Amino acid sequence: MASPSQKRLQRELKLMQSEPPPGMTVDHEEAMQDLTRWIINVEGAPGTLYEGEHFQLQFKFGSRYPFDSPQVMFTGQNIPIHPHVYSNGHICLSILTDDWSPALSVQAVCLSIVSMLSSCKEKKRPLDNTFYIKTCHKNPKKTKWWYHDDEV
Amino acid sequence: MATSSGSEPGPSREGEENKEKDERMFECNICLDTARDAVVSMCGHLFCWPCLHQWLDTRPNRQVCPVCKAVISKDKVIPLYGRGSGKQEDPRNKVPPRPPGHRTEPENTNGFPGFGFGDGGFQMSFGIGAFPFSFFTSSFNFGEPRPNPAPVGTPQFGEEQFLSRVFLYIACVFILWLLLA
Ligand SMILES: [Zn+2]
Ligand SMILES: [Zn+2]
Repeated sequence: MASPSQKRLQRELKLMQSEPPPGMTVDHEEAMQDLTRWIINVEGAPGTLYEGEHFQLQFKFGSRYPFDSPQVMFTGQNIPIHPHVYSNGHICLSILTDDWSPALSVQAVCLSIVSMLSSCKEKKRPLDNTFYIKTCHKNPKKTKWWYHDDEV
Repeated sequence: MATSSGSEPGPSREGEENKEKDERMFECNICLDTARDAVVSMCGHLFCWPCLHQWLDTRPNRQVCPVCKAVISKDKVIPLYGRGSGKQEDPRNKVPPRPPGHRTEPENTNGFPGFGFGDGGFQMSFGIGAFPFSFFTSSFNFGEPRPNPAPVGTPQFGEEQFLSRVFLYIACVFILWLLLA
Protein backbone atom coordinates (compact mmCIF):
# COMPACT_ATOMS: atom_id res chain seq x y z
CA MET A 1 0.00 0.00 0.00
CA ALA A 2 2.58 2.48 -1.12
CA SER A 3 1.42 6.05 -1.52
CA PRO A 4 1.71 7.57 -4.99
CA SER A 5 4.83 9.45 -3.97
CA GLN A 6 6.46 6.29 -2.60
CA LYS A 7 5.62 4.44 -5.76
CA ARG A 8 7.27 7.10 -7.80
CA LEU A 9 10.33 7.13 -5.54
CA GLN A 10 10.72 3.40 -5.93
CA ARG A 11 10.62 3.79 -9.70
CA GLU A 12 13.14 6.58 -9.58
CA LEU A 13 15.45 4.59 -7.36
CA LYS A 14 15.38 1.77 -9.88
CA LEU A 15 16.14 4.21 -12.68
CA MET A 16 19.00 5.78 -10.74
CA GLN A 17 20.55 2.35 -10.46
CA SER A 18 19.99 1.25 -14.02
CA GLU A 19 20.76 4.57 -15.71
CA PRO A 20 22.70 6.73 -13.27
CA PRO A 21 23.87 10.17 -14.37
CA PRO A 22 27.61 10.17 -15.19
CA GLY A 23 29.80 9.99 -12.11
CA MET A 24 26.92 9.50 -9.70
CA THR A 25 25.87 6.56 -7.60
CA VAL A 26 22.97 6.37 -5.22
CA ASP A 27 23.49 4.74 -1.84
CA HIS A 28 20.91 2.08 -2.44
CA GLU A 29 20.89 0.50 1.01
CA GLU A 30 20.34 3.76 2.77
CA ALA A 31 17.57 4.69 0.37
CA MET A 32 15.88 1.34 0.89
CA GLN A 33 15.85 1.89 4.64
CA ASP A 34 14.25 5.28 4.32
CA LEU A 35 12.83 6.03 0.91
CA THR A 36 12.46 9.71 1.77
CA ARG A 37 16.18 10.32 2.28
CA TRP A 38 18.78 9.50 -0.35
CA ILE A 39 22.50 9.98 -0.39
CA ILE A 40 24.10 10.31 -3.79
CA ASN A 41 27.85 10.08 -4.24
CA VAL A 42 29.19 12.50 -6.82
CA GLU A 43 32.53 12.28 -8.54
CA GLY A 44 34.01 15.48 -9.90
CA ALA A 45 33.81 15.14 -13.67
CA PRO A 46 37.07 14.69 -15.52
CA GLY A 47 38.25 17.82 -17.29
CA THR A 48 36.49 20.15 -14.84
CA LEU A 49 37.77 22.09 -11.83
CA TYR A 50 36.40 19.34 -9.61
CA GLU A 51 38.20 16.42 -11.21
CA GLY A 52 39.22 13.86 -8.61
CA GLU A 53 37.03 15.33 -5.86
CA HIS A 54 34.21 13.48 -4.18
CA PHE A 55 31.01 15.01 -2.91
CA GLN A 56 27.79 13.83 -1.38
CA LEU A 57 24.35 15.07 -2.23
CA GLN A 58 21.43 14.59 0.10
CA PHE A 59 17.89 14.41 -1.22
CA LYS A 60 14.92 14.59 1.13
CA PHE A 61 11.43 13.99 -0.19
CA GLY A 62 8.29 15.28 1.47
CA SER A 63 4.92 13.57 1.29
CA ARG A 64 3.87 15.93 -1.48
CA TYR A 65 6.67 14.86 -3.78
CA PRO A 66 6.67 15.14 -6.82
CA PHE A 67 4.32 18.10 -6.65
CA ASP A 68 6.66 19.66 -4.15
CA SER A 69 10.36 19.82 -4.93
CA PRO A 70 12.79 17.66 -2.96
CA GLN A 71 15.15 19.26 -0.49
CA VAL A 72 18.58 18.96 -2.07
CA MET A 73 21.93 19.97 -0.61
CA PHE A 74 25.54 18.94 -0.44
CA THR A 75 26.48 17.15 2.73
CA GLY A 76 29.49 15.43 4.24
CA GLN A 77 33.09 16.56 4.58
CA ASN A 78 33.71 18.03 1.18
CA ILE A 79 31.37 20.78 -0.01
CA PRO A 80 32.29 21.93 -3.52
CA ILE A 81 33.62 25.47 -3.73
CA HIS A 82 31.33 27.03 -6.28
CA PRO A 83 29.70 30.46 -6.68
CA HIS A 84 26.24 28.89 -6.23
CA VAL A 85 27.05 26.51 -3.39
CA TYR A 86 27.19 27.84 0.16
CA SER A 87 29.65 26.36 2.61
CA ASN A 88 26.80 24.73 4.54
CA GLY A 89 25.88 22.74 1.42
CA HIS A 90 22.90 24.81 0.30
CA ILE A 91 22.63 25.14 -3.47
CA CYS A 92 21.22 28.11 -5.29
CA LEU A 93 19.49 26.42 -8.21
CA SER A 94 16.11 27.60 -9.45
CA ILE A 95 14.71 24.15 -10.32
CA LEU A 96 14.96 23.27 -6.63
CA THR A 97 12.29 25.82 -5.76
CA ASP A 98 10.57 28.22 -8.15
CA ASP A 99 11.20 26.32 -11.35
CA TRP A 100 10.48 22.89 -9.97
CA SER A 101 8.14 20.75 -12.03
CA PRO A 102 6.79 17.30 -11.20
CA ALA A 103 8.12 16.10 -14.54
CA LEU A 104 11.62 16.63 -13.19
CA SER A 105 13.27 13.78 -11.34
CA VAL A 106 16.24 12.97 -9.15
CA GLN A 107 18.10 12.21 -12.34
CA ALA A 108 17.23 15.58 -13.85
CA VAL A 109 18.26 17.41 -10.69
CA CYS A 110 21.54 15.49 -10.59
CA LEU A 111 22.27 16.31 -14.20
CA SER A 112 21.57 19.96 -13.51
CA ILE A 113 23.97 19.97 -10.59
CA VAL A 114 26.65 18.18 -12.62
CA SER A 115 26.35 20.76 -15.37
CA MET A 116 26.40 23.56 -12.82
CA LEU A 117 29.69 22.22 -11.44
CA SER A 118 31.13 21.50 -14.87
CA SER A 119 30.56 25.01 -16.19
CA CYS A 120 32.38 26.61 -13.26
CA LYS A 121 35.40 28.66 -14.30
CA GLU A 122 36.61 29.87 -10.95
CA LYS A 123 36.34 28.10 -7.61
CA LYS A 124 34.92 30.57 -5.14
CA ARG A 125 32.12 30.77 -2.60
CA PRO A 126 29.06 32.93 -3.16
CA LEU A 127 29.69 36.58 -2.25
CA ASP A 128 27.16 36.50 0.57
CA ASN A 129 28.33 33.19 1.97
CA THR A 130 29.31 34.37 5.45
CA PHE A 131 26.11 36.27 5.95
CA TYR A 132 23.91 33.56 4.49
CA ILE A 133 25.17 30.63 6.55
CA LYS A 134 24.70 32.67 9.74
CA THR A 135 21.14 33.63 8.97
CA CYS A 136 19.64 30.85 6.87
CA HIS A 137 17.17 28.18 7.88
CA LYS A 138 18.39 24.60 8.06
CA ASN A 139 16.12 23.71 5.18
CA PRO A 140 17.34 25.37 1.96
CA LYS A 141 13.78 25.35 0.68
CA LYS A 142 12.91 27.94 3.31
CA THR A 143 15.31 30.37 1.69
CA LYS A 144 13.80 32.97 -0.57
CA TRP A 145 16.47 32.63 -3.21
CA TRP A 146 17.49 35.51 -5.31
CA TYR A 147 18.77 33.60 -8.29
CA HIS A 148 22.15 34.52 -9.59
CA ASP A 149 22.33 34.95 -13.30
CA ASP A 150 23.25 31.86 -15.16
CA GLU A 151 26.79 32.76 -16.07
CA VAL A 152 29.04 31.13 -13.55
CA MET B 1 28.01 -1.50 -35.36
CA ALA B 2 26.28 -4.80 -34.93
CA THR B 3 28.64 -7.71 -34.91
CA SER B 4 27.83 -11.37 -34.84
CA SER B 5 29.46 -11.95 -31.47
CA GLY B 6 27.73 -14.16 -28.96
CA SER B 7 27.12 -11.34 -26.49
CA GLU B 8 24.65 -9.64 -28.79
CA PRO B 9 21.24 -9.35 -27.18
CA GLY B 10 19.00 -12.06 -28.49
CA PRO B 11 15.69 -11.33 -30.11
CA SER B 12 13.77 -12.12 -26.94
CA ARG B 13 15.67 -9.54 -24.92
CA GLU B 14 15.32 -6.98 -27.64
CA GLY B 15 11.62 -7.61 -27.71
CA GLU B 16 11.45 -7.11 -23.99
CA GLU B 17 13.31 -3.83 -24.28
CA ASN B 18 10.98 -2.65 -26.98
CA LYS B 19 8.03 -3.60 -24.86
CA GLU B 20 9.45 -1.61 -22.00
CA LYS B 21 9.96 1.35 -24.32
CA ASP B 22 6.39 1.04 -25.53
CA GLU B 23 5.17 1.07 -21.98
CA ARG B 24 7.20 4.14 -21.16
CA MET B 25 5.58 5.90 -24.08
CA PHE B 26 2.32 5.83 -22.16
CA GLU B 27 3.66 6.74 -18.77
CA CYS B 28 2.30 9.76 -17.01
CA ASN B 29 4.91 12.51 -16.86
CA ILE B 30 4.16 13.06 -13.20
CA CYS B 31 3.78 9.72 -11.45
CA LEU B 32 5.87 7.81 -14.02
CA ASP B 33 3.25 5.07 -14.00
CA THR B 34 1.03 4.03 -16.88
CA ALA B 35 -1.34 6.97 -17.26
CA ARG B 36 -4.80 6.30 -15.86
CA ASP B 37 -7.72 8.52 -16.83
CA ALA B 38 -5.23 9.79 -19.35
CA VAL B 39 -5.32 13.30 -20.72
CA VAL B 40 -3.02 15.00 -23.14
CA SER B 41 -2.20 18.70 -23.10
CA MET B 42 -2.30 20.92 -26.17
CA CYS B 43 1.50 20.71 -26.23
CA GLY B 44 1.17 16.93 -26.51
CA HIS B 45 2.25 15.77 -23.07
CA LEU B 46 0.56 12.85 -21.41
CA PHE B 47 -0.63 12.77 -17.80
CA CYS B 48 -3.08 11.01 -15.53
CA TRP B 49 -5.94 13.39 -15.01
CA PRO B 50 -5.65 13.15 -11.20
CA CYS B 51 -1.92 13.92 -11.40
CA LEU B 52 -2.33 16.90 -13.71
CA HIS B 53 -5.25 18.19 -11.70
CA GLN B 54 -3.22 18.10 -8.53
CA TRP B 55 -0.37 19.95 -10.20
CA LEU B 56 -2.68 22.67 -11.52
CA ASP B 57 -4.08 23.02 -8.02
CA THR B 58 -0.59 23.28 -6.57
CA ARG B 59 0.17 26.44 -8.52
CA PRO B 60 -3.15 27.97 -9.47
CA ASN B 61 -1.64 31.24 -10.63
CA ARG B 62 1.07 29.71 -12.76
CA GLN B 63 -0.42 26.86 -14.72
CA VAL B 64 2.24 25.46 -17.00
CA CYS B 65 2.95 22.10 -18.52
CA PRO B 66 5.32 20.22 -16.19
CA VAL B 67 7.33 19.02 -19.16
CA CYS B 68 7.65 21.97 -21.54
CA LYS B 69 6.32 24.92 -19.49
CA ALA B 70 3.69 25.79 -22.08
CA VAL B 71 0.62 27.45 -20.63
CA ILE B 72 -2.08 24.88 -19.96
CA SER B 73 -5.52 24.92 -18.40
CA LYS B 74 -8.06 22.40 -17.23
CA ASP B 75 -10.41 22.94 -20.12
CA LYS B 76 -7.69 22.69 -22.72
CA VAL B 77 -6.68 19.10 -22.20
CA ILE B 78 -7.92 16.23 -24.31
CA PRO B 79 -8.97 12.97 -22.67
CA LEU B 80 -7.68 9.80 -24.25
CA TYR B 81 -9.98 6.84 -24.49
CA GLY B 82 -8.21 3.60 -25.20
CA ARG B 83 -10.05 0.39 -25.76
CA GLY B 84 -9.43 -0.87 -22.26
CA SER B 85 -10.40 2.30 -20.47
CA GLY B 86 -13.98 1.34 -19.72
CA LYS B 87 -13.71 0.92 -15.98
CA GLN B 88 -12.07 3.41 -13.75
CA GLU B 89 -10.06 2.28 -10.79
CA ASP B 90 -9.99 4.39 -7.70
CA PRO B 91 -11.90 7.42 -8.97
CA ARG B 92 -11.03 10.04 -6.39
CA ASN B 93 -14.05 11.92 -5.31
CA LYS B 94 -11.93 15.01 -4.84
CA VAL B 95 -10.93 15.10 -8.45
CA PRO B 96 -13.58 16.41 -10.84
CA PRO B 97 -14.44 14.18 -13.77
CA ARG B 98 -12.19 14.47 -16.71
CA PRO B 99 -13.17 17.31 -19.02
CA PRO B 100 -15.20 16.02 -21.94
CA GLY B 101 -13.73 15.73 -25.41
CA HIS B 102 -14.65 18.48 -27.82
CA ARG B 103 -16.55 17.26 -30.83
CA THR B 104 -17.35 19.36 -33.85
CA GLU B 105 -20.36 18.12 -35.77
CA PRO B 106 -19.98 17.97 -39.52
CA GLU B 107 -21.90 20.83 -41.16
CA ASN B 108 -25.43 20.13 -42.25
CA THR B 109 -25.44 20.33 -46.04
CA ASN B 110 -28.98 19.41 -47.06
CA GLY B 111 -31.78 21.95 -47.52
CA PHE B 112 -31.62 25.73 -47.88
CA PRO B 113 -30.98 27.46 -44.66
CA GLY B 114 -33.74 29.84 -43.77
CA PHE B 115 -36.40 28.44 -46.06
CA GLY B 116 -38.20 26.09 -43.77
CA PHE B 117 -40.56 26.55 -40.89
CA GLY B 118 -39.46 26.30 -37.32
CA ASP B 119 -35.87 27.40 -36.84
CA GLY B 120 -35.37 28.34 -40.45
CA GLY B 121 -38.45 30.55 -40.52
CA PHE B 122 -37.09 32.64 -37.73
CA GLN B 123 -33.86 33.26 -39.60
CA MET B 124 -35.74 34.31 -42.70
CA SER B 125 -37.96 36.80 -40.92
CA PHE B 126 -34.99 38.31 -39.22
CA GLY B 127 -33.33 38.84 -42.56
CA ILE B 128 -36.35 40.64 -43.94
CA GLY B 129 -36.85 42.58 -40.75
CA ALA B 130 -33.39 44.01 -40.97
CA PHE B 131 -33.91 45.12 -44.53
CA PRO B 132 -35.67 48.47 -43.98
CA PHE B 133 -32.90 49.56 -41.70
CA SER B 134 -30.21 49.30 -44.32
CA PHE B 135 -32.58 50.71 -46.94
CA PHE B 136 -33.33 53.83 -44.92
CA THR B 137 -29.79 54.53 -43.85
CA SER B 138 -28.50 54.29 -47.37
CA SER B 139 -31.23 56.59 -48.66
CA PHE B 140 -30.44 59.14 -46.00
CA ASN B 141 -26.81 59.19 -46.95
CA PHE B 142 -27.37 59.73 -50.64
CA GLY B 143 -24.66 57.44 -51.87
CA GLU B 144 -21.93 58.86 -49.68
CA PRO B 145 -19.82 56.31 -47.88
CA ARG B 146 -21.37 55.67 -44.53
CA PRO B 147 -19.88 58.17 -42.06
CA ASN B 148 -18.59 57.21 -38.67
CA PRO B 149 -21.23 57.12 -35.96
CA ALA B 150 -21.83 60.54 -34.48
CA PRO B 151 -20.07 61.30 -31.21
CA VAL B 152 -22.02 60.66 -28.05
CA GLY B 153 -24.03 63.62 -26.84
CA THR B 154 -24.54 65.44 -30.14
CA PRO B 155 -28.08 65.79 -31.47
CA GLN B 156 -27.12 63.63 -34.40
CA PHE B 157 -26.15 60.84 -32.03
CA GLY B 158 -29.55 61.01 -30.38
CA GLU B 159 -31.24 60.96 -33.72
CA GLU B 160 -29.31 57.93 -34.81
CA GLN B 161 -30.09 56.16 -31.58
CA PHE B 162 -33.74 56.96 -32.02
CA LEU B 163 -33.81 55.79 -35.61
CA SER B 164 -32.10 52.53 -34.87
CA ARG B 165 -34.51 51.92 -32.03
CA VAL B 166 -37.45 52.59 -34.34
CA PHE B 167 -36.11 50.15 -36.87
CA LEU B 168 -35.55 47.61 -34.17
CA TYR B 169 -39.22 47.92 -33.22
CA ILE B 170 -40.25 47.60 -36.82
CA ALA B 171 -38.12 44.51 -37.14
CA CYS B 172 -39.68 43.01 -34.04
CA VAL B 173 -43.19 43.73 -35.24
CA PHE B 174 -42.30 42.20 -38.56
CA ILE B 175 -41.01 39.05 -36.93
CA LEU B 176 -44.12 38.81 -34.79
CA TRP B 177 -46.29 39.30 -37.80
CA LEU B 178 -44.45 36.56 -39.68
CA LEU B 179 -44.74 34.18 -36.79
CA LEU B 180 -48.42 34.81 -36.27
CA ALA B 181 -49.38 34.85 -39.94
ZN1 LIG C 1 0.11 10.12 -13.18
ZN1 LIG D 1 4.01 20.29 -22.64
